[in-house]
Amino acid sequence: MWKDYSSGYIKNNRSSGMSVMIAAFISALLLSLLLGVFYNLWKYEIERIKEEEGGWQSRIVGELDKDDIAVIKSFANVKDVVINEKGTKEQEAMTDIYFDDMGDVLSDTPQIARMLGVSSEKIMYNHELLAMYMIRDPKDTAPRLIFPLFILITGIASLSLIIVIHNSFAVSMNARIHQFGIFSSIGATPKQIRSCLLQEAAALCILPVLAGNLSGILASMGLIHILNRLAEGMEGRHESVFGYHPLVLAASLLLTAVTIWISAWMPARKLSRLTPLEAIKNTGELQLKRRKKSPLLTCFFGMEGELAGSALKAQKKALRTASLSLLFSFLAFTIMQSFFTLSNISTRETYFERYQDVWDIMVTVKDTDVDSFNETEKIQGIPEIRSAIAYQRAEAKRIISEDEISEDMKSFGGFSQAGQQDVKETKGGWLVNAPVVILDDASFLAYCEQIGITPGLDGAVIWNQIRDVTNPDFRHPKYMPYVKGENSTSILRQSGNEEITAEIPVLCYTDKVPVLREEYATLDYYELVHFLPVSLWKEIKGQIGGCREDTFICMLARENVTLGELDALQGQVEGLIGGNYHTESENRIRKTEMNDKQIQGMMTIFGSFCVLLAVIGIGNVFSNTLGFVRQRKREFARYMSVGMTPEEIRKMFCIEALTIAVRPILITLPIAVVTVGYMLKASYMEAGEFLAEAPLIPVGVFMLAILGTVALAYYIGWRNMRRINLAEVLRDDTMM
Amino acid sequence: MNILTCEEVRKVYGSGSNQMAALDRINLTVEKGEFVAVVGASGSGKSTLLHILGSVDKPTSGKVTIDGTDLSKLNQTQAAIFRRRKVGLVYQFYNLIPTLTVEKNILMPLALDKKKPNKEYFDKVVGSLGIEGRLQALPSQLSGGQQQRVAIARSLIYRPALLLADEPTGNLDQKNSREIIDMLKLSNRSLEQTIVLITHDEKVALEADRIITIEDGRIINDEGRR
Repeated sequence: MWKDYSSGYIKNNRSSGMSVMIAAFISALLLSLLLGVFYNLWKYEIERIKEEEGGWQSRIVGELDKDDIAVIKSFANVKDVVINEKGTKEQEAMTDIYFDDMGDVLSDTPQIARMLGVSSEKIMYNHELLAMYMIRDPKDTAPRLIFPLFILITGIASLSLIIVIHNSFAVSMNARIHQFGIFSSIGATPKQIRSCLLQEAAALCILPVLAGNLSGILASMGLIHILNRLAEGMEGRHESVFGYHPLVLAASLLLTAVTIWISAWMPARKLSRLTPLEAIKNTGELQLKRRKKSPLLTCFFGMEGELAGSALKAQKKALRTASLSLLFSFLAFTIMQSFFTLSNISTRETYFERYQDVWDIMVTVKDTDVDSFNETEKIQGIPEIRSAIAYQRAEAKRIISEDEISEDMKSFGGFSQAGQQDVKETKGGWLVNAPVVILDDASFLAYCEQIGITPGLDGAVIWNQIRDVTNPDFRHPKYMPYVKGENSTSILRQSGNEEITAEIPVLCYTDKVPVLREEYATLDYYELVHFLPVSLWKEIKGQIGGCREDTFICMLARENVTLGELDALQGQVEGLIGGNYHTESENRIRKTEMNDKQIQGMMTIFGSFCVLLAVIGIGNVFSNTLGFVRQRKREFARYMSVGMTPEEIRKMFCIEALTIAVRPILITLPIAVVTVGYMLKASYMEAGEFLAEAPLIPVGVFMLAILGTVALAYYIGWRNMRRINLAEVLRDDTMM
Repeated sequence: MNILTCEEVRKVYGSGSNQMAALDRINLTVEKGEFVAVVGASGSGKSTLLHILGSVDKPTSGKVTIDGTDLSKLNQTQAAIFRRRKVGLVYQFYNLIPTLTVEKNILMPLALDKKKPNKEYFDKVVGSLGIEGRLQALPSQLSGGQQQRVAIARSLIYRPALLLADEPTGNLDQKNSREIIDMLKLSNRSLEQTIVLITHDEKVALEADRIITIEDGRIINDEGRR
């Protein structure tokens, strides 16, 4: 009988069944996608750990002879034993052990050690790898959060879906309270009613769950592909190969089934506990407990506005998920777009545009001092290279006396605003940082020419500029002379041991810096930068020291160079010096592309999250409107019976749809304006500059997508509602 | 033999100063095979009485016993099973399941108990109610009178101890009303079915063996006509 009843209901109420099926499909899709992505992240992590640390599970440190190795190999659970050549240092060998059953690694390894007579301190475990299989050594105190995080996110996703989709089931079930009242009045027990509803839910959801899970697998495959594309060429990252395990599918199906079962069980339980009297009296109509006014809607749209306002208030609970999801999705999307636009402008202005004509290729020569780097001339000799400067930075100190300070600097208080960490007052004046930038000789001479002084290698050029520290606007700083620039020598001091000094001649005080990808006086406004030729540096290196580890080569190729040419040139430079030095190199165009890709990637991830939120909200609107015919036909029949025309009812629908879709937009706009205003203020950016690139199109598209889909949901609801036969609804309660 | 006993039954709605007694100390007995009509004006408490007798609602105080079962001691599940087996309910608006055929609507109480129908009894009931030719139709394909006959057939299919009918002719024309009353009388006579009929129509009430008049929740008259 239940079978007949349920199949009859499903057949005759495809629209409300459809909303349940859509809800089940979306849940299955999202959960399957989530688990698919998690599985691949897990797989990727294991690959990364194996690549970086190795795939061993435990390791014994110390010399082991052939017999010992044979003993380990003969251990039942041991799969393989490898002497780790890489790990061998200071005469201590490492023996990596691989087990058949990883689960016993924590008990088997001490046993092996005992058999070999090795103390337990010599045992090492690959904790990071073992944690990926949920094998935790109590001694490993590092937080291994990947699994708890997966479980937490999956749990939150499942709970969120329950909150969202239970409403679809509730709408479909509540529409039949009256019928279940009849069942109850002729003796159906609450359990029988509950079972009927749950069987019905199961029948409706089987196909969508399977389809959703398969789509989720495809979506996770697509997402991994997109992530691979976005992260292409990123340092320290290997290509993720999509994989899927039958257990993941089983877990996904189980999780979906549990999520849907709880979602269906909640309203089914509530409905089955109603007394027959309550159920029979229930018409399934939207009810307001208290009279509530909608002055704005009434004012703008008259009676239809008031009716729409009341209906929305009566549906408040059912539409809560939609309201919150749409609001948060639009708010998050708008703020995210604004933030990335602002960040993009900022990065472009402060980095890419600023260094546009400063560098094309940068090579970092690791652990090498500039005075011992011998390849500069060769690089400078490459015909395609316009300029190549080899340089290194070193830390030094210098004392600036009261007499030396420029009048401009005195006018804003001299060192009175300097922090203790940057400037120290001493007997002779103020001890400040004097970073030294050591240039190869040829480049230094070129620099001298650039600033218009007689080229020479016997002195330093001092960058004599200081920012107006009273103006925090880093985007539009005001510079002024730091020192008077009258001294013909400068006494540099060793950083940390300021008694040791070296006096060097000053060729010039200037406001121009060499063309390098470097920033000066950004953190410590009071530093006095010295540019030195490498030949002079060799003379004072012993006293000053303080060199940073690496030497850099900043190169400019021909103007309007293409990415292909730059890649080729980069390869040529690496080939020239790579054999003798440990180098890392980057080129500007590829870095710009990488930066764009990273921003795109982040925007895709955050955007997907916003779209997901919006889909949840829109799904909620759809599930509500698809249940309209049953839930609201009496309401509309009553309106029609008192003379409301179908056009007026349509207007009411439009007002409801508009209110649902426009409300998140109206709430978001002022919040977005205030947030963007704050971000502009904090980054000292002109509003006009931001407005010229404001993300109006994506935000507009997102807004229209919300409006469009809500309108579509209401259009479908309206189309179903139009089929009502007024006379039948008002006369015949068997339709209830 | 008493099939129904009500002792000091009260039903109060609301609380505090809003309290309203729908039934006030009702004492009533109905013997097996009796056809009792309960009459009263709208709001007198007759539907409340019917709901309490049908274990659809519970009294605020007092005791109701039907066929030896004290209704106040039943939980929700027990009350449902009691309704299924001991009480047949007929409403003014039929309350048929629109998606099930006439036959399945009638057999529903048995199906809930996973019981097979007695073919002979089923044929007798549908035959006497004149719906044997419409068993495969859906309720929406029947007239109001036919729908009410289906509802009566459903209420009789379990051979309940008590058939409770709430204004069963309230939604029907004169001809159909006459036929429904005749059928109730027929089931009362031929099947010895105990019937409690709620109505505000005096003509309908006059067809019963006994008329109980309720006013403001109290029985003000109890008159046997046999």
